[in-house]
Amino acid sequence: MTKGIAAIRAGDPPHILQVYEVGTETMIDSGAIIPVTEVVKPGEINWDDYFQPIMNYYTVGGKLNSMPFNSSTAILYYNKDVFKKAGLDPEKAPVTYKDFEEMGKKIVSSGAARGAITFGWPAWMLEQAFAFHNQLYANNENGRKGRATEVLFNSPFGVEVVSGWKKWADEKLLMYGGREYAPNKAFLSGEVAMLLQSTSQMSTIEQAASFAVGTGFLPRIEGKPQGKSVIGGASLWVLKGKGRSPQELDAMAKFFKYIGQPEQSAKWHEDTGYFPATHAAEKLLRDQGWFKKHPNFETAFKQIQVGPDTPATRGVLLGSFVQIRDITDTALEKAFSGKLSPQAALDEGARETNKVLAEYGRLQK
Amino acid sequence: MEGRFPNRTLPYLLIFPSIAIVAIFLILPSIQALYLSFFEVSPFGNKFLFVGLNNFREILTSEEYQFSLRLSAIFAIGVVLLSMSASLGMAVLANKPLRGIGFYRTLLLWPYAFSPAVAGIVWALLFEPSSGLMTYLIRLTTHQSPNWMMAPNYALFVTILAAAWKMLGFNIVFFLAGLQGIPDEIVEAAQVDGASPRQSFWRVVFPILSPMTFFLFIMNSLYAFFEVFGLIDVMTQGGPGRGTEVLIYKLYRDGFVSIRWGYASAQSIVLFVLVGTLTLLQFRYVGRRVFYR
Repeated sequence: MTKGIAAIRAGDPPHILQVYEVGTETMIDSGAIIPVTEVVKPGEINWDDYFQPIMNYYTVGGKLNSMPFNSSTAILYYNKDVFKKAGLDPEKAPVTYKDFEEMGKKIVSSGAARGAITFGWPAWMLEQAFAFHNQLYANNENGRKGRATEVLFNSPFGVEVVSGWKKWADEKLLMYGGREYAPNKAFLSGEVAMLLQSTSQMSTIEQAASFAVGTGFLPRIEGKPQGKSVIGGASLWVLKGKGRSPQELDAMAKFFKYIGQPEQSAKWHEDTGYFPATHAAEKLLRDQGWFKKHPNFETAFKQIQVGPDTPATRGVLLGSFVQIRDITDTALEKAFSGKLSPQAALDEGARETNKVLAEYGRLQK
Repeated sequence: MEGRFPNRTLPYLLIFPSIAIVAIFLILPSIQALYLSFFEVSPFGNKFLFVGLNNFREILTSEEYQFSLRLSAIFAIGVVLLSMSASLGMAVLANKPLRGIGFYRTLLLWPYAFSPAVAGIVWALLFEPSSGLMTYLIRLTTHQSPNWMMAPNYALFVTILAAAWKMLGFNIVFFLAGLQGIPDEIVEAAQVDGASPRQSFWRVVFPILSPMTFFLFIMNSLYAFFEVFGLIDVMTQGGPGRGTEVLIYKLYRDGFVSIRWGYASAQSIVLFVLVGTLTLLQFRYVGRRVFYR
């Protein structure tokens, strides 16, 4: 995204730019894009066939702004061999925070693995926890009714989630593994039994694991409302540049149509673990018996369909979201390392974030 | 006899290329940074909001910046001390006439050939919390399993170690060159006068090395302030919880991750002034004690 911005500022950007989901608000506000619905002529692509949660994420103000491409979500991966060794049922994934704690203790005390659980992308995991319990992450309906000016992650719910994680850390169950994909290593080496990670890693993990991999939903807090996990990944944006000719627009529309074909979408899913974008692609995969052979690839589908469609489960939109993720990561790391209590860390993070949102709002006027 | 150019324009013509390069790649961007530091700029650069000295005010009052400043000081002192003392020791050893010394010397210089990012990867793998070799050894000896992703002080320690190691080769080359420039007679004379090896090193050899030590001191401090970005980025990304976020990394994060051009430009100006002052002070106070032969 930074490079794309540099290209836009230099005046000669590429036609299409792939931007991760957190860049969505910034891209919409940039004035440098052409909404994808204006590139693709009505009827050229059957948008109704696209998965609703994916469309919902990228539709803002009733308009689809970018072309959905690689969409993922977070799920639980676990090591079935370690579960067996710890005397647990390898076919039963933990569901609630309590399950995670009890099963985790069994795993660690039996010596089946040195750590029970690990994850990366801490801020994203917090966003996921909010959506999965149908809680708003920011005001103005998650920034979807108007620009968000305040985050809500230091709410009692947020503190409860982070306190849960902190408790795991104190009990030596959680081995936090940094901000990106590094925890995969701890999981794949068998040192840690469970991993919360993006579905984009499904293929990589299944191929690299020397043990049987199981999957499940993200942890739930009992008694809290059911939501669903939220879409991550990236989408494709059409950049205005100095203006695009009808031929150029047409070529881009053709390209979008091509990557949306069931065969392409299904192949992309099989090779990575990202969602196939359309129902047609899903049907193709079912007809080929893909999910029967690879049941782990189906878990994420179920998880984005369990709860209601609300602003809370559509995913939060924030300006300067990249910076906010970084602030949130920092707050969570401060909580994990015991430098601040979960409440104090989240309060500090929210204060800084709100300042960033205010600055962003000032610049958009 | 002083050589003279036949006309007045030729000398200017000859230095023009280097002046042009310095102007285009150093001076112009600096002026641009100075200009930007008075603005809040939208990520796409299409909106500029003049904010006067606000960016500087934020730097001077922000707790986060002061924390990063203290961290940088600790980091720099740690790296300079560790790297210079270790390399002086090794250079003295490498200066001994040993069989195959050429081979050892070559090996000692190797770390410097690594790019900071590669050095970072090597050390990150060594201390990897679940499968790193060092973590394994620490676990064997102390029954503790430190995870630097959750312990800021430990992370700082490991990054200092890595950064110091990276400079070893460079320092050893210069110390070695300095040591070899010392005539044997001086040391022999000291020995004849009854100086112990320790005395002859600290009273005779070390003072003669002082210009080299001073030069390396400046180079190492500049390195510790300015050139550790790649290493930090690969190893800790400034984490956990900003625990290893030295000034140069903070600048990168604010500029290129958060895309706050104005604030980051102001930081670069502050950093420039800071390091300039520091170098000047070093020349004034430390430089005086240097003994030039």
